[in-house]
Formats: sequence, structure tokens, C-alpha cells
Amino acid sequence: MKAVFSDIHEWLLEAARVMRRQFSLVFSDMGVMLFFFFLPVAYPVVYSLIYNTEVTRDMPVAVVDNCRTALSREFVRHADATEAIKICGYAADLNEARRWMNEHRCYGVLEIPADYSARLGRGEQAMARFYCDMGLLYRYRTFLSSLTELQMATCTELRQTGLNLLGVSSSAMGESVETQAFFLGDTQQGFASFIIPGIVVLILQQSMLLGIAMLDGASNERRRRNRGYDPVAVRDASPSASCIGKALCYVAIYLPLTLFILHYIPELFAYPHQGDAADYLLFIFPMLLATAFLGISLQGLMRERESAFIVVVFTSVVFLFLSGLTWPRYAMNDFYLMLGNLVPATWGIEGFIRINTNGGSLADQATPYHWLWGLTALFFVTAYLTTRRRSVTD
Amino acid sequence: MSVIKREIKILSSRPAYLMGLVVIPVALALFFITILSPGLPLKVPAGIVDMDNTPMSREISRNLSATELVDFTRSYNSFNEAMAGVQRGEVMGFFIIPDHFERDAVSGRGPALSFYSNLTFYVPGSLVFKGFKTMSVTTSGKIVRTDLVGKGISADLAGVALKPLALDIHPLGNPWISYAYYLGPSFIIGCIGLMAVIMTIFSLTQEIKRGTSPQRYAAAGRRLGVAILGKLLPQTVILFVVALFCHSLMFHWNHYPMNGNEGNMILGLFLFVVASQSFGVIIVSVIPNPRLALSVGSLVSILTFSIAAFSFPVEAMYGAIGIFSYILPVRYFFLIYLDQALNGIPLYFSRFWYVGLLCFPVVAVLLSPLNRRWMRHPVYVP
Repeated sequence: MKAVFSDIHEWLLEAARVMRRQFSLVFSDMGVMLFFFFLPVAYPVVYSLIYNTEVTRDMPVAVVDNCRTALSREFVRHADATEAIKICGYAADLNEARRWMNEHRCYGVLEIPADYSARLGRGEQAMARFYCDMGLLYRYRTFLSSLTELQMATCTELRQTGLNLLGVSSSAMGESVETQAFFLGDTQQGFASFIIPGIVVLILQQSMLLGIAMLDGASNERRRRNRGYDPVAVRDASPSASCIGKALCYVAIYLPLTLFILHYIPELFAYPHQGDAADYLLFIFPMLLATAFLGISLQGLMRERESAFIVVVFTSVVFLFLSGLTWPRYAMNDFYLMLGNLVPATWGIEGFIRINTNGGSLADQATPYHWLWGLTALFFVTAYLTTRRRSVTD
Repeated sequence: MSVIKREIKILSSRPAYLMGLVVIPVALALFFITILSPGLPLKVPAGIVDMDNTPMSREISRNLSATELVDFTRSYNSFNEAMAGVQRGEVMGFFIIPDHFERDAVSGRGPALSFYSNLTFYVPGSLVFKGFKTMSVTTSGKIVRTDLVGKGISADLAGVALKPLALDIHPLGNPWISYAYYLGPSFIIGCIGLMAVIMTIFSLTQEIKRGTSPQRYAAAGRRLGVAILGKLLPQTVILFVVALFCHSLMFHWNHYPMNGNEGNMILGLFLFVVASQSFGVIIVSVIPNPRLALSVGSLVSILTFSIAAFSFPVEAMYGAIGIFSYILPVRYFFLIYLDQALNGIPLYFSRFWYVGLLCFPVVAVLLSPLNRRWMRHPVYVP
């Protein structure tokens, strides 16, 4: 019995030694410090500054008014007053408007046909056309929602006057079915409020992976120089103690950064920030652990320090898409779903957004939370196996 | 010539080069094309809260389910239940039909249909909003129309009275509103640019790290231009072939829209590859340190995907941030793609974007004398 306790004691000491050694390795390496500290602090701020204007307003639009009546001018005035549209000028015909578009002077053309007011006067349906540049879907979306509102407001106004002329009291129409639209989470439909809470979680994962990859690359370089033996590694540590010690070191470094990223960034830039801090901090903990073990599992791939860039950097774009932030997960095929399931940030982003932006509780995030702990276990096993293989080859 | 031969030997000596120059860009292209192949993520999972349970309310939910945008995967009994469903991530939005909806609608008491869209996930949130909005407006219109006909107005006139003004919206170049055509080329070619920058810096600074640059300098007859050009030319060829392959993958095998002259696009592609490599050379000229140069190169390249404004317009950014968009090659390529492939406008209107791409090699040449020192005396600082 006593032997068991002394074994455990021994193991804990080993893990602590590995952890202490890893700390000193991290703090003596400028490259790793850059990834572990500069990246998580600077990137959320940089991304926020890029998207902080949240919405796009008053995009230039050319008008081709073939009708030129009081009614058509009123319609154009109202269009100019919407959030999305700013009338940049009247073009003589569609060809001129098209030339403006080619010269990138406007992103849309509003065309009013010659019979616009005549049809309205006759009680027929009038038609206006809008040609939209599709370079950015975000512009199209903004145009579309403004135009729909404009159309509905104009319809209501025309209907009132039309029905009055017909002798039907317009109050009989006012009592129709109302519709009310509400937006949840990102209530102001801002771009930054949608993308930043997800991106910051990905930054946590990717910066940690980059730093770990660089440490491993450096260790592999030392090995090659010293005939397969790393002079600064803790020599007699068992593989499991070595994995746990390293992971604890990384997670400990990341705890204050996590607080900064998940709590202070939304506060500083006034993003949606509904959830309880205890909920999302507890939630993100297994993601940090899983990421640390994932990083340790990749150690065989880094031949040298610089390999980290080739292997890790491009994965950020892939993980961003797999996470479902820009492209929803329900539209993916089974292969990509499975691949996404294996990335800690996928679950981290999903759970954090639902807690932070939708105000869910930790209990609501049971599925992502279980997955994160599952991934922690899985990557611990892979980290253990790769570490053991390396200590055998030593 | 001997410089090029030497470079080809180096390129084939390590798997890192094959990975970085060929495997990763092609894999990324396949990844984006396949993941975006649905074009639009239709059939958004949504919930319905039907508190009325009358033929009219059931018809509304049936009609909503029949649209391509919305798929009612869940039905809830109350607002609170549906809200919890959103927080658990079961649905992207929900539609509420209130109590006594049919009775109030028929008797003209003005009931309200309400719908909630979860915009924390932007694309599905917007789509579910669009689906809900269309349906609630049509439903409301239908009820009013029945009402008007009942008051003795002819059905035609009632229809016009309801919607006196129609809007006809033409999404130019991408009438399918496909995300693939919009995100695919910019991300795929952007990734080639990313790898081009990283690999240029990696291969140049490897010579510093291994101390082989004096050999290269001697092989080039002590001519700096020849040394650097010989180093990068084989990679230019490889990257351009890979880029052409990705181009044909998109525009030929997957029929992405090519409304303009394809030659202009290919010219843009070539200039883009050269500009990305030049961007790498510029970084090495300023920071001749392997790790630091690679760090700066990757940190900047990863930012390009946001700051080059593939999704959020430059003119809406802060001015001081927006200008950085134009120091990146991929921004110009993106604009060329929009002009030449998506909109198919004459080359004349895109001239500045091509000039923009040409600026990168010019700056790289101007800065290249800075490289002479490490070429002669490489110093590796780990």
C-alpha cells in the first residue's frame, strides 16, 4: 500500500518537474512568447478594429428614372432615405448607369419604368427594378432588407390613397394581420457582434497550437544536434507525467488570457455579452486541455521550429469553416461534420457563442461540453502514445 | 542556370516543400469547393410555436415548411420552450402563431404573427428571417384580400390594392446567390497566396539558417538579382501551375461563373502569384531573420482573409484600417475576379488592379539590395 502512495508521489513530482521545465522553456523563447502572449492579446483587438463599424450604410446607387414625375421622384427620395441606399446621381439611361457601375462608382442601379405613375394612377400594379452588384453578399443583403422595407412602406401609403379614392374606408384595412420580427443574440445585426465571439475562441486554439508546435520543433532540433537526445528535457519522466506536466503548463499560461479574451474583449467593444462568466469559463476549460493535448500529439510532425508555420497556419482557415461560424454545420456532409467534431474549437465556438451571445447556461451546452471532455480524453491518449514512442526511440 | 538547378535539387530534397507548394494548396481548394458545393444552406432547422391549432394556423406552418428556406424540425408549446431550444442550438429561429389567431384574423381584430431569428450565426439566421418574413407577409396579404373581396371589391383590384408596387431585384452575375461563387475563388486563391508568402520566406531564410547563402551567391556569379530570381523562379512555375489547376477546378469542372475573358483572369492569376512571392521577398529584405520573418509573414497573411474585405466592405471599415487592405496582393486579385469573371466587364475598368499587383515586384526589386548582407554573411539567430 505504501509503495502505491510513493509511486503516486513520485509521479506527481515528475509531472511538476516537467511543468516547471516547460515554463522556463516557454519564457526563454521569444518566438513562443510571441504566439502565447502577443497573438491572443493583439489579434482580438485587431479583428475588432477591422469589423467594429458593424454595419455598412449609405452605399452609392444610381437612378435611371424614365418616368420623371412627382411620384417617381418621391420614390427616389424615399429610397435615398433608407439605411442602405445613397443616391449618387441620375443617369440618363441604363447604359450610362452601367458605365458608372463598371467604374465602381455605384453598387446598384434603381430603374423606374416610363409608365410608373401612369400605372399607379390607373390602379394597376407598378414595377421598379433594382440591379445589384454581387461582389459582396453583405451588400446585397443590406440592399435587400432596405428595399423590402421601402416597398412595404410605399405600398401601405399607396393603398391608403387608392382605397380612399375607391370609397372604402382605409381603417377597415388597417386592422389586417400584423407581423413582428425579432432578432436574437446579435440584435442589431452587426457584423462584428456576430463574428468576433467565434473568432476569439479560434484564436485561443490556434495560438496555443502554434506555440506548442514551435516548442516541439525546437526540441526536435536539439535532438538532432545531440544524437537523438534533448539535453533540456526532463529525462526520467514517465510519458504520462510528461504529457500532463506540459499540458498543465500551457493551460496555466492560457487561463488569464482566456479571461481577457472571453470576458474583457466583449466588454471593451460592447459586443453581446449575456452569459454568466462562471458558465463560459468552466465551459472553455476542457477546450484548453484538449487543445494542449492535441498540440502535444502533433510533436512528431515538426522537424524544426519553422515547420510550425507550414503545418499550423493554414489550418486556421479550415477550422474556421469547419466550426460552422461562416458556413452552417447542418449543410455539411457527414465527412466534414465528423472532421469538425474532432476539432476542439468547433465545440468551443458553438458553446461559447450560445452562452455569450444567446445567454444560454452551461447546462444548455451539454452536447458541446461532453464532446470537449471526450476530445480531451482522446487527445490525451494520442499525446501519451506519441510521447511514449519518442521516449522508446531515444 | 546552375542556381535554378541547385534550387530544384533543394525543392525535391525535403517533403516540406512538396507539402507547402502543392499538397496544401490543392487540398484547400478541394476542401472549399466540396464544403461550399450546396451553394446556399437551404432548409434551415427552425421551430414552430402553434398556440392556435386551427386549420388556418396549420396551413401557415405547412406553407412555411414547403418553402426552400425553412424546415420545421421541432415544434414547441411556448415562447420559453422555443427560446431554450435556440439556446441549446436545436433551431436557428422560431415562428409564433398566437392563441385565437384564426378567430381574430377573420373578425378583423388584427392579431400579430411574430418570428424570432437567431443572428448569432449570420447566414442561417438571415435565411430563416427571409423565409419567415415572406410567409408572414403573404399570409397577412391573403387574409386582407379575402376580407376585401368580401366587401365587394373585385379579386383583381383587391390584389393590386394589396401590392400596388412590385420590386424586381436582379442580382447581377450571381442570380443563384450562391456562396460558393462568392467565397470560393477568393478563399482558394487567397490560400495559394498565403502559402506562396510562407514558402518564399521559408525557402529564402532556410539559406540563412543553414548558412548556404554564400554558396548560392557564388553560384550566381556574385549577382544578387540572379541569386534571388534563380531561387524563386522554380517556385513561381510550381505555384502558377497549381493556381491554374485550382482555376480549372473552379471554372471548368465546377462551372463557377466566367462571364468575361478568361485570359484576363489567368493574367491576373500569374501576376498574383508573382506579387505574393514579392511580398515574401519584401518581408525577408526588411527582416532577415527566419523565425521573425515567418511570424510576420503568417500573421499578416492570416489577417488578409478579413482585411482584404471578402465579406465586410472596405468602405465601411475605419479609414485607418481600410487602407491596409490595399497593401495586400489578394485584395487586387479579388477585385480582378469580381470585374473579370463575375461581372465580365472590359479590362479597361480593372487596369488599376493589375497595376496594383505589378507594384509588388517593383518594390521587391527596389528593396533587394538589403539582401546582399545576409547573402554574403548569413547569421542565424534562433
